[in-house]
Amino acid sequence: MDLSESKDFLVHTASLKEVRVFSREVFDKLKLDNELKEELVLAIAEAAQNIVKHAYKGVENTTDHMQIKISLKDNNLEIGFFDKGKPVVAENIQHRKLDDIKPGGLGTFFIKQIMDDAVFKKDQQQWVNHLILSKKI
Amino acid sequence: MSYKITEEGNISTVFLNGEIDMDVTEKAKEVILPIVESGKEVHLNLKDVSYMDSSGISVLIESHQKALENNTKVVVKEVSKSVLKVIMMAKLEQILNLE
Repeated sequence: MDLSESKDFLVHTASLKEVRVFSREVFDKLKLDNELKEELVLAIAEAAQNIVKHAYKGVENTTDHMQIKISLKDNNLEIGFFDKGKPVVAENIQHRKLDDIKPGGLGTFFIKQIMDDAVFKKDQQQWVNHLILSKKI
Repeated sequence: MSYKITEEGNISTVFLNGEIDMDVTEKAKEVILPIVESGKEVHLNLKDVSYMDSSGISVLIESHQKALENNTKVVVKEVSKSVLKVIMMAKLEQILNLE
């Protein structure tokens, strides 16, 4: 089953629950097993959290929206994240070392564990950042 | 996220409920850390926590480290399957006191 759905969310921590609800609804349509579904929901929520936390760092009460687009074609799952925050320098993104036990720095690690690939593209004029997470399912 | 706290001797048990993400981590820390800083042993019961992301994991780490600083401990109890998976993904099952 091929599918493509997108939804806009206010850039705010309170939107993260809505992001998970949207993601679960889409994955339910795809009839993914629960374990895979929850892994993917975690990856999506972490990427959305990174937009709120990093791309909009220091920006309070923004009215900006981020867009999340989930597409499946030929068993290739692609999740796009679009935002108008501060430009992300992909080379600067790194998770903390796992043996350096301290709060924070795990979101990107989770995304890398769950997804096959994560790439920032500069192909959108109406957005600043465009992250694509992909996974063969 | 909602919570309930029970006391028994020097042990406070915090029952967390719901989904723990960045939106509720400050609230979770406001509940847990003062108890840890008082020197009490804290049991975090996660049986009704259906989802936890990296922010929630950070709360567990911070609570654990704060407990060590205060010569007490945080025990994480009755972890739901979905949360255990995230703890294991972070390779924290040997670091946190899981029961």
